[in-house]
Amino acid sequence: MNLNSIILKNFFKNLKNYTLYIFALVFSVVLYFSFVLMSRDDSVAEELTSSDMMSTGFIAGSVLLVVIIVTFVMFANFIFLNRRNRELALFQLIGLTRRKIFRILILENAVIYLGSLIIGIAFGFLLYRTLLMILFRMMQIEISAGMNFSVEAALQTGLLFAFIFALLMAQNYLFLKRTQLINMLTLDKSSESNHKRLGAGTVILGILGLAMIASGYWLSTMIMDFGTLPFLFSILFLTITGTYLTFKFSVAFILNVIRRSKNGHINVKDVLSLTSIMFKMKSNAFLLTLISVISAISMGLMSLSYISYYSVGESVDAFMPHDYVFDEEEDMQFYSELLADNNIKHETVVTPTISYEATGEAIKVDTEASDGLISEFQLNIVSEEHVDGFDVDENEMIITGVSFITESYIEFELNHPVTLVNDDYTRTLELVHVGEDAILPSHVAFGFPQAVVASDVYSTLEEHHNYDEERAQPRESFAIDIAGEDSMEIFEMMEEESNPAFQSKINQYTTQVQGMGMLMFITGFVGFAFLLTSGCILYFKQIGESEDEKGSYQVLRKLGFSENEMIKGLTIKMIVTFGIPLLIGLLHSYFAVNAGWFLFGSEIWTPMLTVMGAYIILYSVFALISLLYYKKVVKESM
Amino acid sequence: MILEASDIRKSYGNRMNRTEVLQGIDLNIEQGEFISIMGASGSGKTTLLNVLSSIDRVTSGHIIIEGQDITNLKDKELANFRKNDLGFMFQEYNLLHTLTVKENILLPLSIRNMKKAEVEKQFRLVAEELDTYDVKSKYPSEISGGQQQRTSAARAFIHQPKIIFADEPTGALDSKSASSLLRKLQQLNSKSNSTIMMVTHDATAASYSGRVIFLKDGLIYSTLRKGDHSQEDFYKKIMNTQSVLGGVGVES
Ligand SMILES: Nc1ncnc2c1ncn2[C@@H]1O[C@H](COP(=O)(O)OP(=O)(O)O)[C@@H](O)[C@H]1O
Ligand SMILES: [Mg+2]
Repeated sequence: MNLNSIILKNFFKNLKNYTLYIFALVFSVVLYFSFVLMSRDDSVAEELTSSDMMSTGFIAGSVLLVVIIVTFVMFANFIFLNRRNRELALFQLIGLTRRKIFRILILENAVIYLGSLIIGIAFGFLLYRTLLMILFRMMQIEISAGMNFSVEAALQTGLLFAFIFALLMAQNYLFLKRTQLINMLTLDKSSESNHKRLGAGTVILGILGLAMIASGYWLSTMIMDFGTLPFLFSILFLTITGTYLTFKFSVAFILNVIRRSKNGHINVKDVLSLTSIMFKMKSNAFLLTLISVISAISMGLMSLSYISYYSVGESVDAFMPHDYVFDEEEDMQFYSELLADNNIKHETVVTPTISYEATGEAIKVDTEASDGLISEFQLNIVSEEHVDGFDVDENEMIITGVSFITESYIEFELNHPVTLVNDDYTRTLELVHVGEDAILPSHVAFGFPQAVVASDVYSTLEEHHNYDEERAQPRESFAIDIAGEDSMEIFEMMEEESNPAFQSKINQYTTQVQGMGMLMFITGFVGFAFLLTSGCILYFKQIGESEDEKGSYQVLRKLGFSENEMIKGLTIKMIVTFGIPLLIGLLHSYFAVNAGWFLFGSEIWTPMLTVMGAYIILYSVFALISLLYYKKVVKESM
Repeated sequence: MILEASDIRKSYGNRMNRTEVLQGIDLNIEQGEFISIMGASGSGKTTLLNVLSSIDRVTSGHIIIEGQDITNLKDKELANFRKNDLGFMFQEYNLLHTLTVKENILLPLSIRNMKKAEVEKQFRLVAEELDTYDVKSKYPSEISGGQQQRTSAARAFIHQPKIIFADEPTGALDSKSASSLLRKLQQLNSKSNSTIMMVTHDATAASYSGRVIFLKDGLIYSTLRKGDHSQEDFYKKIMNTQSVLGGVGVES
């Protein structure tokens, strides 16, 4: 038997080991290729109101994706190299030079690589259509997704993976160069001997780690009051360093307290969970920190973009009271005729308004949060007879058109007085209700809230009002409401270059939904790519650990501990191993989102819990797969 | 009679390629005996120990331990039986590396409903007997090979099992640690009247026991009893038998 046939035989015998690696590769190719295909799909660009929105989003997304994929593949390769360590050492032992081994590695990898690339591109092509349909749904576009295979996209993918291939070969080369023969033969054994007792340092640093995270969380709740850059950095520093210390020391410290309390009287469940995690988590501290911090970031971004997406309807309602609004009365007349010509039933709305400065206990403006922009608070007042659905008594006032952004710097207190001031005249009313939907367009109210008062009150206010020419405050707003449903067709019909300017609610809504939908899709895609890769990494780690612990399982089985008893212990181990990084990631992202979500939308729970729920489910799946792998190892270790 | 094995056969492989490792072994062990199994490497010593201790199943034959035929039991029942009634020592990878000495030793008691104070008492007794009490809170990697094997001996004795099975417990030890371990086993055997079955290929180790059984080609070749002989005489008798058997005392 010559050398080549030995190598070939070895390759096929090892194919089981390679599956993991091939899976990682195929998976990465699928992710990248489907993403590139989507970004090149014309059908999306055509439908968009703003087409460069698409390319910017996808470029940012693909950069992140490349970083994730490169890290993931290199990590998988590293695990794989370590597992093949003994075999590589054996090659050296029978007299192969490192150069020759390196050549073998290149050859093997090239074969695996090309195969994975082809399979990945095939699967990526299948996945891309599904993804595109999801994207369209999020953007509320109603066209069916096509199937366009792009050779350029395939080439781009091929190029990226050629680059990664070069990186991996460099990694393999360094690995071979660094390890001496003797180390190679003993590398797998070294992990057994580093079980030492925990010193006092562990206790101190363990407590410190938890304290740092807690204080980071505490500071994050005050971010609105001290939103300076150094403040932000200290929060980041505290939580990230705290996370590292937690994995490195706190977990071991807490488990050790539990263990000490048992004073040696531990059962087989403890053996497989408690004592094993104590050591493993410590040595994986850096990896776990990375995973939970990036998980937190991606969960945070996904939550925030989902919050924005979720609140699009509401935020448009808070600024646009009518289907179409106009600056001038003539414009309104122009479009009214145009619509009538096209047999579209509609209604013109003219709303008179006056502006008063508002003060009083009911209105608390946070001047710091608004950066001192709002020194006085101008309130546009409308009479109840000019708007539908409001019922206001004498001496009362309703404030409406309060968006979530307004809420971040103005606080309204119900049943407190509001004093309206214009020159010498003042009038005090009681605030009885605060609503979200606008009654005046934003070019009239400047995005500020508006007030509704009783018609008698309005007349008095109007009488005493001293109209200020300099301010040129509009006295009326002009709008059109379409009878029945407005549609993009009507908007497109109205929007001719020669026609006067106007604002359309449906157009604003569509633009925002498309933009937010795109953003959400891309953060979602990148976020889940990260989640899946980090889940895979944790799974690969578990495979490695199960190999390390095989000896223990053997001893326990021989001593008569049943498979079931051992699986119970390993279940606890999986819950803790996957649960702690997940829990920390969830907490981090909760506090991050909580610190600033109100700038993005008006509803936090549904979007955030949806994202978190998806994360929890996917992590559970990885925990379950790992457990099944352990089950197999335990079964075989007798 | 604590263990009666009759016509034990064990073969590996499929119909095409079959190795008969054990070819009909009859063996009786009395309560309180210290018995050694010797034989050349590959003669089936470990296989015999594994089937007698229910780690492996026989191809045919019956093993009756305290009146119960264990060859009929289900896997789960066998596991329970091992856990409750047997003690084990192996050549290597005996102890769990993530557990301290004390935790390793107490493992077999974790399934018993014993009071903590009682467990502590039992632990102290056994650990002191085997000179491991002082290192009780160390990890296996922090103690010597001899201490490790004494720890596994303590684990084997702690729950007062019916029989203790030991597969080459001294195989990885230097002669001083080996003799100290064997002396401890001998003491515990006579003091607590426990039954020990030990596999070894070392004549010195075997000379600590009361009976030596030689395996050859899957059958019992001969049996030696110590009787009233001194340990030295017994050692010589073992050496003689071994040289007749063909395996010189230097195999490993
Ligand atoms: N699981 C197995 N599958 C196939 N053959 C085995 C297996 N275990 C042991 N053998 C064979 O049985 C014979 C006896 O092995 P063993 O009992 O370990 O010998 P000893 O412990 O006396 O050195 C050897 O030839 C060995 O190759
Ligand atoms: Mg053996």
